[in-house]
Amino acid sequence: MRSTLFIFWSLCVYAQSGIQVPAVGAMVDSSGKLRPVQGVAGNFWLGSATISEVLSASCSERLCLAKTDSKILSATGETDAPSGPAIFSVGAAEAIVYFPESRTFARWHDDTLDALDWMVDGEVLSIAAAGIAVRKNDGVWIVRPDGAVIDWVTDTPGPVLLLAEGVLFATPVEIILRRRNVSDVRFGLTGAESMTALGAHYAAIRVGALTYALRTEGGREQLFLLPGDAP
Amino acid sequence: MKHVPVLAFLLPLAAQAQLALFSMNGSTEVPIGAALDIGKVAAGDTFSVRIRVRNTGSSKADITRFSADGTGFTLDRPSLPFPLAPGSAQDVLLSFSASMPALYSANLQVNTPVNSVSAIVLATVVAGPVLTVFPACTGSDGPPASIDFGRVQASQARLCNFYLRNAGTQEMTIANFRVTGSGFQISTGPKAPFKIAAGDTAAFVITFSANAAGLYTGALAIETRTYVLTGAVFDTPLPKPLLEFDAGPIQSAQQRRLTMRLPTAALVSVSGIVNLAFLPDTTIVADDPAIVFLATGTRSLPFSVIQGSTQILINNGTSALFQTGTSSGRIRFTISGVSTDGDPTTTLTVPASPVSIDTATAARRTGNLDIALIGFDNTYSAGSMTFTFLDTSGGTLPPGAIRADFTPEFRAFFTKVFAGSTFQVRISFPVTGDTSGIGSVDVQMNNSAGVKAQHLVFQ
Repeated sequence: MRSTLFIFWSLCVYAQSGIQVPAVGAMVDSSGKLRPVQGVAGNFWLGSATISEVLSASCSERLCLAKTDSKILSATGETDAPSGPAIFSVGAAEAIVYFPESRTFARWHDDTLDALDWMVDGEVLSIAAAGIAVRKNDGVWIVRPDGAVIDWVTDTPGPVLLLAEGVLFATPVEIILRRRNVSDVRFGLTGAESMTALGAHYAAIRVGALTYALRTEGGREQLFLLPGDAP
Repeated sequence: MKHVPVLAFLLPLAAQAQLALFSMNGSTEVPIGAALDIGKVAAGDTFSVRIRVRNTGSSKADITRFSADGTGFTLDRPSLPFPLAPGSAQDVLLSFSASMPALYSANLQVNTPVNSVSAIVLATVVAGPVLTVFPACTGSDGPPASIDFGRVQASQARLCNFYLRNAGTQEMTIANFRVTGSGFQISTGPKAPFKIAAGDTAAFVITFSANAAGLYTGALAIETRTYVLTGAVFDTPLPKPLLEFDAGPIQSAQQRRLTMRLPTAALVSVSGIVNLAFLPDTTIVADDPAIVFLATGTRSLPFSVIQGSTQILINNGTSALFQTGTSSGRIRFTISGVSTDGDPTTTLTVPASPVSIDTATAARRTGNLDIALIGFDNTYSAGSMTFTFLDTSGGTLPPGAIRADFTPEFRAFFTKVFAGSTFQVRISFPVTGDTSGIGSVDVQMNNSAGVKAQHLVFQ
């Protein structure tokens, strides 16, 4: 049957308004506060701090998780967690979490943590559906939860972030976005210290007191500087 | 019984000793004995000293005489008679001036109807050296005698040349010769004590220099005379900074780079503040909060330049990134905290542009077709939209172009949310039947600067 279009329209109700401020994701500022990042490419600003003493944070399009010393917090609640920072792979409603201090994995859902018996050798750098990025003596590898090797990434000593479709890593002087069957995209940036998922389409790269936002969508890759911590 | 006559004798003496004379050294009372020697006074100069009379008795004293009788001495005092309560004091100003070298004296006397005190005041008039100051400094005989060094740039020096001449007929010894005060110093000249032969001169130079802007005072003491030294220091104007931007036309939603340099090398090291401000074209909003320097998220950054350099460091870097926001208007860059040789204010114009779409998606939902748009409208006039749905072959589906006007909703959003003109909107179209044949939609968003067209394929 041929579809029928009504000539009526409606603005979808997001919260109380049909129109919203665009949300990019969230980042941990230099004082350890979780700040929402809003705006569009090239025009960002930081919202008011929502959580203090945040050690790690990561966001997908629909979910943001923050790790304090002893808890994982979400928009809907919190749950106790092993102490120290965390490495997240955040999906739409679930996340895989790695706790470096205890070297344990867990699955987060509905403000609950379920322990996982995953065991990998080396320094866990990032987690994604594609696997786990691990730094070993001979470089960074992507491995399965059982430790089986999937692929070799790089021998960079810098941070690594697995993406849904590719991997982002830092050399001492540049950031490299690598996707399968596509040429590397490189950005000159010295001294990257960490990389996290800022949002669905951005990675947050910390360099000293500065935080950069790298747009990771294919064909729209661009490196931006996020505004400083001024309220 | 033998003591009674003695007490009767002492009581009148105690009554007579109720007045005491002091010379004042600042706020300190220095008792005057039989004589007060005010020392050497240069011929033609006036020397003044504050004299205090204090009633140290237990009854009121009516001062009927208070005088300094002697050539060259004058007394500035209240009209007589005046009362002096027990314990209270009255200050007067004793001045002396004479033109002939000699020893001078006066009888300083204070009387009440029942009492009096007196002292001899001595002054020695000597032939003083004659000081001549040469341009660019200027002198004034005052009082007080003063020498002005004028206005001097910070860190620059003003040298003043002086002659000190012995106009007398005998060799003169200068025992007291010194400069005091921040910024002033004798850079060339004799060191005290030194002698000046009769009719001869001694040349010296005083240098005035300071790093910080302000008014400065000092003193040049030559024997009995003191000259007030004054000078003003102003910040060295910086050659007008050139504010420059990375190449390419200015548009909204850009992160641009500001650099600053000087056309000529800085004469001194200076620091200041570079500021930006925004004036939007629209009256719907008063500002755009995303227009900031990115390093700090603020609208001001410190800058500095070192002496001899043309490179200006902004926030300790060679450049500073800033955002152009999502509003058409003017971004104005100004300098503060430092004087410049000309106004370096620089204005960037962000032109009005059609609606910009950052992200757009079209999705099917049971009973609905959803179109989501993320973007900005730097004219704040968006709202008029047109949607044309197409089948999978690209043919237009009835009823053809669907026009909608969300201008009031956008206007209300822009005025309520202090976030520039960015927006995220989802428009839903109720639909019945099989939607699999709907392949795409052409979306047009209009604003005062033009039309933005977007073709979206349903996922």
